[in-house]
Amino acid sequence: MTMLNRRTLFASTMAVATAAKEAVLGRSAEAALPKDVEPRGTVGRLERLPRLDLESQHDFITGFRQFVNVDMNRAAEARMNAILKVNGVDPANDPPVEKVLELTANDPVIANSARSWLSAQQLSWKTLRNEFHGNADAYLAEMDAADKVGPGTLELNPDLKLPDYTRHEIHIQPGGYVGDPFAGHSYLYGTNNFYTGRNNQDELHIALANALPLPADGKVLRILEQGTSCGQLAVALKQRFPNAEVWGIDCGAPMVRFAHMRAADLGVEVHFAQRLAEDSKFPDNHFDIITNNIMFHEVSPEGTHAVLKESLRTLRPGGVYFPIDFYTGSPPPKTAFGKFRSWWDSRWNGEVWRLTYAAFDFKGAMKQAGFDVNENGPSARPGAKANILGTKRA
Amino acid sequence: MADAKTDLKNYTSDFIKSDTDKAVFLGNPLLDDMMTALINLGAETWANRRRVKIIEMLFEKNGKISRDMVEAYMPTPDEEKKLVGERDEFIRTAFGHFARGAADIVALSSVNPTSKK
Repeated sequence: MTMLNRRTLFASTMAVATAAKEAVLGRSAEAALPKDVEPRGTVGRLERLPRLDLESQHDFITGFRQFVNVDMNRAAEARMNAILKVNGVDPANDPPVEKVLELTANDPVIANSARSWLSAQQLSWKTLRNEFHGNADAYLAEMDAADKVGPGTLELNPDLKLPDYTRHEIHIQPGGYVGDPFAGHSYLYGTNNFYTGRNNQDELHIALANALPLPADGKVLRILEQGTSCGQLAVALKQRFPNAEVWGIDCGAPMVRFAHMRAADLGVEVHFAQRLAEDSKFPDNHFDIITNNIMFHEVSPEGTHAVLKESLRTLRPGGVYFPIDFYTGSPPPKTAFGKFRSWWDSRWNGEVWRLTYAAFDFKGAMKQAGFDVNENGPSARPGAKANILGTKRA
Repeated sequence: MADAKTDLKNYTSDFIKSDTDKAVFLGNPLLDDMMTALINLGAETWANRRRVKIIEMLFEKNGKISRDMVEAYMPTPDEEKKLVGERDEFIRTAFGHFARGAADIVALSSVNPTSKK
């Protein structure tokens, strides 16, 4: 395979470039995987996409997403508002989404903004899938070898019975989190693209880790991230709390395999396990902090109740529960276009549970599970003034 | 720790397939496919243009280049900024029509938002 040959050819030049960037951006110089596949080297925490053309395609998709998100959506929203107003509907006053769809869903400007975003999303997944499946032997060998190395550990549970809600192709990612051996690879680069380059160095996850509140007694010996996906938040948590034991769990084996490989490559000791957040197998009163990021909007209501119950069980008295998601710090959208986008995201971008989550009484569910709830915890997501915070009574 | 295995099916489970591939937004599946093709061509065109730009950067710096040098090249922050600017200009040039203001669209579209449904 040419990729590995290129890696050898590039070794000397890339080593110099990589060493310089490691010094600046914090990638551990000691960290190395037994069969590391990074033919184009790294930029800080990020392994560059393995081919120039793939990197350039994703560069285009990043720019195109920005164009859709700003320019095309501005035109679509203006168009939607004009149509609604002339039909006697106030677009700013929480119109029923069914009415918005009835009046505007077939409008060509609105439809094309949706079509364009979706086609870019599909192109993002397709190009990544082509790369990783097209060079599967090398990438599988890299993961197989990384499964066994530290720092940190990896636990896989091939017999784990997955609830149906975990098996959807969320974000229309082919195979979802559980059905593609390269789900973690694709998720990392796909979400980097989704964030239009603002998270290439885990900036958003580092900010979330830094926002995390401490238990009142200040003791932080064990931390759990539920739904860890690529482990970016778990890694950032370990870097903020270097003396704590940090765990990241996820239903998807491909996700935790990639998360472990990436953390080991970065030289950060995190323990990853394929486990369910609602059946985590940890002892009672075990963790000082439990958190998760953009997880609950991908969980069914039944799953959410079960996860909250399990979280209370495994959190120690006085421990902190800090879930971070779309509406843990700000309310669901009330404008016509905001509601349309949420509906559209749910219907066409595979966010199967998003609308259910928006209508779910999350605060009530936390209380029902037994948490003391403070809706004015420290802000976590950009733009939110606060975030919901649960505490287990001491 | 897991044992090493090397076939594609390892560690994967059955999933529930999305039906988004079948979505039609523009009233005619061919129109949807054309829009998708246009975006894909945009990505291919930009990939080619970016490669040429990198070749030019390397020529300017080194006088001679190899394919591997092109493949591995890391633009400087200034070069990256310039490339991003050129990318965005390319996108606006190629796709800017799709973001026309509502007033322009009303005049050009067959759908008139001022008429009640």
